[in-house]
Amino acid sequence: MKGRRWSTLAWQVAIGVSLIAVWQWGWHLHERVPWLVPDILDPYFVSTPSQILDEFFRLSCLRPGGGAWIGWNDGSFGRCLAKAQNNLWIATAVTLRNTLFGFVTGVVSGVVFGLLLGRSDRLSEIFLPYIVAANSIPRIALAPLIILAFGIGAVSKVVTAWLIVVFLVFFNTFEGARSVDRDHISAARLLGASEWQITRTVTIPSTMAWVFASLSPAVSFSLIGVIVGEFIGAEHGIGRMIIEAEARGEAAGMMVAIFVLMLVGVILAGLVRRLQSYLLRWRPVQQSAT
Amino acid sequence: MDSAIAAGAAPPAQEAARASYRIQVKGLNKSFTVEGRELKVVDEVSFGVRQGEFVALLGPSGSGKSTILNMIATLLSSSSGEIAIDGEPVVANRPRRNVGYVFQKDTLFPWRTVAGNIGYGLELAGVAAAERKPRVARAVAAAGLSGFENFYPTSLSGGMRQRVALMRTLITEPEILLMDEPFGALDTHTKLDMHEVLLKLWEREKQTVLFVTHDLGEALTLADRIILLSARPGRLKQDFQVPFARPRNAVTLRETAAYGELFSRIWHSLGEEFAKGASQ
Repeated sequence: MKGRRWSTLAWQVAIGVSLIAVWQWGWHLHERVPWLVPDILDPYFVSTPSQILDEFFRLSCLRPGGGAWIGWNDGSFGRCLAKAQNNLWIATAVTLRNTLFGFVTGVVSGVVFGLLLGRSDRLSEIFLPYIVAANSIPRIALAPLIILAFGIGAVSKVVTAWLIVVFLVFFNTFEGARSVDRDHISAARLLGASEWQITRTVTIPSTMAWVFASLSPAVSFSLIGVIVGEFIGAEHGIGRMIIEAEARGEAAGMMVAIFVLMLVGVILAGLVRRLQSYLLRWRPVQQSAT
Repeated sequence: MDSAIAAGAAPPAQEAARASYRIQVKGLNKSFTVEGRELKVVDEVSFGVRQGEFVALLGPSGSGKSTILNMIATLLSSSSGEIAIDGEPVVANRPRRNVGYVFQKDTLFPWRTVAGNIGYGLELAGVAAAERKPRVARAVAAAGLSGFENFYPTSLSGGMRQRVALMRTLITEPEILLMDEPFGALDTHTKLDMHEVLLKLWEREKQTVLFVTHDLGEALTLADRIILLSARPGRLKQDFQVPFARPRNAVTLRETAAYGELFSRIWHSLGEEFAKGASQ
């Protein structure tokens, strides 16, 4: 078992190193053997790992110009940051904040609507056609409209993210509320539970398992919503950085933004997964789907 | 011994006795509609359970015994007939405070720990946490579950789960207990263990119990009286007293001659019904 873990790790490192090597030096082979090296490896499009690393240090103001690392004490870090109003740090913070807002508002409202409609046959009868119709609109298509309505500030990004998250969480909650074990409800009622107590102590906890299962995708979706909103119109954010770099034809800058996004996504998903397995600790088998 | 109780008007002398019935069922009928066909499962069943009496409702599968219990518990409504608890007719979905119910199926809340499940009824009744804690601890100890307070049901064995379920019901101190084959899914050994647990608990409180089972040995071990139902549609077939002295021991009782004799006597009645039940 242990040997297997090491061999897995060895494979992973080998694959990673070869990918980076091909990315870094593959293009040199293009002139000699064009059939082997696809055009997409052109550094004009994808830059190279070394350039991306340099660009990361430049954009993050850790090593702003040329070779020297930033001086922490002489205030040059602050001056460098002040030069760009959408510097890497601010962009990351803004994108992260809007993602979390979109996630939290989407989850809360999705759960509330899901419980309401899941518990009431009457309400779900009336509203479900509208919800299904709204759900079949690709939400991204609404992003320009939302920017128009809410401006290029943070609100439009949060609304875009919310719009994507809320449906996902709503449908999960709705399904969960509908599939509460009838015997659990009977047991609660026979032990003297009122209708409200049944909702609070049976429906909600048993629905939560479904809600938590939707948290991982919800946080990824929220990030997508924010980035798309930033593409269309924003002053700050990683999406904005990507669009700017694209306009200037700076592949390295784009790649830096994309890698920061990847990092943000991995960290958020990891946190949500830990939260999930804590909240669902009563379950015998933890699901590990991403 | 073989006096089957017929449904119908009782002589005046018995009216007074009836007033003392905790559970009274009169002319009860229940039909289900299955694929457009009317299926009668309970047919004119009448009986009563007195204060402190442990009655087993025994019958083959399809004899409607669980259906009868669920109607008494208000989980089902009857097609016709009367059910009264303490002289008051029951209303569907309005369970009485002093009636406890134990399911055959595992209905523990998986998101609550052992202690959380057992204390659930007290929580509903608004008992303060400070008072709840010692009562839950006593119940946990009484069920032999000490050390498992913070376990979740999924990590317990079937027998332990059923003990938790039993204590979840008993902690609210119901005067009347309705039990729907609570040990039906357990293996023989665990079942005997549970009989011991239940007998001990019952000796202390002497609740009025109606216990549904298809296991004659279980009925003889636990009950004061056995009401035997026929195969579908469930009719009242016979009503036996179980004369064994209390307190009983679930294991040694089975080794006595009297037990064997009564077992085989009832078995003949039951055997017919089981054969009918199987051929349906």
